[in-house]
This record gives sequence, C-alpha cells and structure tokens, in this order.
Amino acid sequence: MQLLLRLTALLALIVTPLHAADLGVEEYGYPLANPFEATIAGTPADLRAEVPSDDAIDQADYSLRLRPEREFTLPDNFWPVKQLRYRLARQRGPAPLMFIISGTGAHYSAGKTEALKRLFYGAGYHVVQLSSPTSYDFMSAASRYATPGISADDAKDLYRVMQAVRAQQHKLQVTEFHLTGYSLGALNAAFVSQLDETRRSFNFKRVLLLNPPVNLYTSVANLDKLVQTRVDGINDHTTFYEVVLEKLTRYYQRRGYIDLDEAMLYDFQQSTLKLSDEQMAMLIGSVFRFSAADIIFTSDLINRRGLIVPQDYPINQSTSLEPFFKRALLCDFDCYITEQLIPMWRAQYDGGSLTQLVQQVSLYALEDYLRQSPKIAVMHNADDVILGAGDIGFLRRTFGDRLTLYPRGGHCGNLNYRVNAQHMLEFFRG
Amino acid sequence: MAKGMLLPLLLASGLAFAESPTADEDGFTHPLRNLEFNPGLDQREFERATFQALDVYDPFESMNRRIYHFNYRLDQWVMLPVVRGYRYVTPQPVRTGVSNFFANLGEIPTLFNSVAQLKGQRAANATARFLFNTILGVGGVWDPATRMGLVRQSEDFGQTLGYWGVPQGPYLIIPALGPSNLRDATGRVADFAVERQMDFLQYSETTGGEMSLTALRAVNARHVTSFRYGQLNSPFEYEKVRYVYSRARDLLVEE
Repeated sequence: MQLLLRLTALLALIVTPLHAADLGVEEYGYPLANPFEATIAGTPADLRAEVPSDDAIDQADYSLRLRPEREFTLPDNFWPVKQLRYRLARQRGPAPLMFIISGTGAHYSAGKTEALKRLFYGAGYHVVQLSSPTSYDFMSAASRYATPGISADDAKDLYRVMQAVRAQQHKLQVTEFHLTGYSLGALNAAFVSQLDETRRSFNFKRVLLLNPPVNLYTSVANLDKLVQTRVDGINDHTTFYEVVLEKLTRYYQRRGYIDLDEAMLYDFQQSTLKLSDEQMAMLIGSVFRFSAADIIFTSDLINRRGLIVPQDYPINQSTSLEPFFKRALLCDFDCYITEQLIPMWRAQYDGGSLTQLVQQVSLYALEDYLRQSPKIAVMHNADDVILGAGDIGFLRRTFGDRLTLYPRGGHCGNLNYRVNAQHMLEFFRG
Repeated sequence: MAKGMLLPLLLASGLAFAESPTADEDGFTHPLRNLEFNPGLDQREFERATFQALDVYDPFESMNRRIYHFNYRLDQWVMLPVVRGYRYVTPQPVRTGVSNFFANLGEIPTLFNSVAQLKGQRAANATARFLFNTILGVGGVWDPATRMGLVRQSEDFGQTLGYWGVPQGPYLIIPALGPSNLRDATGRVADFAVERQMDFLQYSETTGGEMSLTALRAVNARHVTSFRYGQLNSPFEYEKVRYVYSRARDLLVEE
C-alpha cells in the first residue's frame, strides 16, 4: 500500500513536471478557450467577482498641477489635459491604500481600472486610480520628457504623481500602501516598487503585477503584428471595419433590435456570423495602433520634434488635426521607438543600441530585485498575446512560486473572473 | 482506498492537459502561432481602413471644433456638477422614475416614426408600451412593459428621413446637445414639434411650469448618457466621436 502510494506520487510528478503549481483548465473553470475572444469580451457577467455598485462607492476626481509651464507651451486645444486628474475612492475610517496604474494609453477611468477599483474598494481599501504614463493626459500634464517607454523615467514620473496625490489627500487616514497595475501598468508598477526601495515614501507592503510585458520589445512587436493578419472578405470596395460592421448589422437584423452589451458579444460569437481569429486579432491590434498614434502625436508635439506636426505650426481650438492624425496612424510602436524613443534616449545617455534599450526598459532590468523581493507577485496567462517564447520561463525563474499562471484568459480577459479576484485579494491580505 | 481516489484524479489531470492547446515547456501556448498574416508588401489594411473611416463629410469643421470645446467646458463646469447634485439629492428609485417618465414620452415620436417607416410591428410595440406604462405604470413612472418582454426600441425622424434615402449631410455639432448632422438636426426639430402638438396629458400645466419640466428633462438626459468628455483620452477625440456617431446613425437607419 505504502509503496503503491509512493509510486503514484512519483508518477504524478513525471506526468506534470513543471505545471505542478499551475491551475488546470478544468480546475480553473474560465470558459473562453480562445485567447482573442477572452481579450475582447472579458469575463461573462455571471462569473465575475461580486463588487459594490458605483452608488455605494464614495469617490471623486481631483486634479494636480504638476507642470505649470505646460500651461503656456501647450496649444489651446490641450486645455483639458494641462492638469493631471486622478480618481480617489475613500473608505470612512483608516484603511490601506491601493494605487492602480492603468495599461497602455489608458485613462484612470478605463474599464479595467474601474473594475479593479470596485474589487479593492469592496475589500476595504482606499483606491487611487492613475492614468498610464503612455496616456495623453499623463504625457501632457505629468511627464517630464513626454516620451514614454523608458521604464525608469516613467516610474519617476509616476512616483512624483503618487507623492503629489499623498500630499493633496493628507487628511486621508492610510494604514499601509499597496500597488498594482495591469498590462504595461504592471511593468510600471515593478519599476515604481524598485524606486520606492530607495526613496521610501510609501514602503509598499505588497505589489501585484497583472499580465505585465516581460520583454517590452516582444510585446510591442506582437501588437504591431496583430494588424497584419489576413482577413477574408476585404477587397477594393470594402475595408476591415466595414466587414466587421456588416456582420454586426446582419446579426442585428436577425435579432430585430440593437442591444449592445457583453451578453450580446457571447451570443454573437456563438452565431454563424462569428469573427475569425484573424479578425479579432486585427480588432485588438487596431485598438493598440490608435493608442500608438496618440502617443506619437502627443510626444512629437510636446517636444516640438517636427516629425508629425511641423515646428511652430499654429494650433488652436478650431485647427483640424486630421492630417496629423493620419500621419501618426502611419507610424506603429516600432516606428515610435526608432523615430522618437531611441534618439531621445541616445541623446540623454550618450549612445546605446536597441538591445541595450530593450534590456533596460523590460522586466529583465529588475531580475535580481524581483527575485529577492517576496512582496512582489505576478499573475499571468498562458495564452497572453503580448508574450513571446521564453517569457513565461523568465517569470518562473525569477518569481518562483510567486507566479500564478492561468491556463486561459488572453490579455487581461480574466481580471474580474472571480477566481482571479479571490487570488488578488488573498495576496494583498497576506 | 487512497489509490482508488488518486487514479481517477491522475487521469483527469492528464485529460485536462491534453485538452488545452499545445503548450511549450514553459506552459506558454503561443497564441499568435496559428494566425495567418499578410505578405510583407501587403500590410496596409489597418491604415487603409482607418483613413476611409476618417472620411466623414465635415465642411464646417473649424466651427464644429469650437463648439465641441464649448460643449466640453459646459459639460465640465455646468452639466456634470448639476447631475452630481441631482444624484446627491434624489434617491435611486426617484431617478429611475424620472428616466422612465421621459422615456415613456419618447414612445410618441417612436410610434409616429415607425408608422412613417412602414414598420408595423415596431409601431404596435411602441403603442403597447405607451399604454401599459401610462396606465399600469402610473403615467410612465414605472416601466412594466419591459418586464412583460416589450423591449424599448426608439425611432426618431432623422432615422425616418434616412429610411427614405435622405443622406446625412454635413456633420454638425450643436451647442449644448453635441454631435449631429444636417438630417438628424432637422429630424430633432420635427420630433420636437410632434411632441408639442401632443402636449402629453397636459403634464406641463399640472407639474407647474414648462421651464422646470424642461430643466428636469435636460438633467435626466445628461444623467442617463454615460459619455464623458476626455474618457477616450485621445488628442483625436473629435475625429473618433465623429466616426462613431456617423456610423452608429447609419446602423440605426439600416436596422
């Protein structure tokens, strides 16, 4: 009997060599097996974690004046982003405070940031929501160089914003500080945490990275590639958007009325009109290309580089920005790195190759720190579209059992799945 | 005993592993591996599609942009603070009642426009909704019709014009109201006139004053609209809103 038991245990070890700590598909229970569907549609409503409704959350938006000189140097039509806004949800009494950093190009009120806010607020945290350093408002109002991508510099900008938030909300009773971020925000969070080890303003108790890019260059290359997929049905008379909208229209005509919500998305993907993987990839890629265009235009304009907007071109509230939008759309992340990021970085640090830059701005740069810091954990998905070969291996080596790898979820599609939510809360509870 | 439990467990874990897509030794499933990509010289579909989408007839763009910024400021400094105050002083059931009431008023233009587009079923739906909600729902404050399975489907005169082949015309931004175009702006005026003619149950007289009712209607309209300026967080918000508005109206007309 004893021997048999030992044998079975040994067998189990052989069958699942590396995946012992990982969740199985069935055990996990997340229903969307297709990573693109998961990325677009997220978690079905009835499988989400229970969170408080917006009426039950005591929250407000505040603004910070961090770069007063920009009020004079930025054109008139930038008036809404001359001050940096953020959102604070406060508990009644003393409570721990959670900073959430949004993903690529995302606003502090973006859907995923809001969802995380509800989760942590429901668990008794004060929550501060911050825009991504790659977002239009952050670049204009808070960023020193307004050329996001140098992770260490972005972390310094973020840290300054966090300190300003703390100063503005000095009456808020905070017991301890926590930090999280998703997607690019998770990479930012890792660098902010490292910065905090020397600056010690917050002494973050725990830091959670949700679906971070491991090699930033792999991630942006993947995203750039997504819009190059071959989509059937496109010809000279129709475009990719029209093909997708055409499908939606036919679907609605069949249903009889329009009712755009998430339940519809599932139903739509079950129907014969469902989008192919290539079409979904293209949709995801398009969203990121629009973010890229925003970054490229804003960075160029603030620094007056003259690549998109001619230097000294007069811009006021009635100026058409369409020609610049088009120019910016022709440039992808790779083009942004070559034309704006690398030249600035080289000028600042006196040279360096693309490989060196990638090494400096990716998680690799923090490898030793991450390995030695038990307070930092990472959650990732085995089918995340921003990862490349070897990235999960790096996470395993670096984080060990502080990595939770989910078998499904695409890119951030399972953030508000109740299993994930429970794991997040457990981690911060300690 | 223990062995009897372990064996099925082992089998199950093996099965689950077989079901998941092929993972490499790290456990990564390479989601991009099975996608089909365009050849290198033919990778301009995103740009082509987007440029075409940007092509909306907008001859009054510089005027529109000024009004857009005016509306943005009006929204930040007047409308949203008022809505916040409204949410603060009224409990949730009252706000729902107010929304239902004005939505019920909206069934009248829907009825007219469904008839004008020869959509019999939709006209019947609007009539039934209006009657149930007005009689059972105490003048439209409750919405029993939706619970009965009659979904609200609104139609306006802009859609009717579109149904009969009238093009959208130049894109317009109307002060305080937001994005529109020549056709829909005309439709708005017509719908307003129809409502005026009906003067539904003399509500304006009994509730004491046209002004307060109109004000409440405006506040409610902002309360139920989830759009927030700046939420797209893009320097090109104007272009994006313009595309979404024009395309959404096209879809509503086609549907």
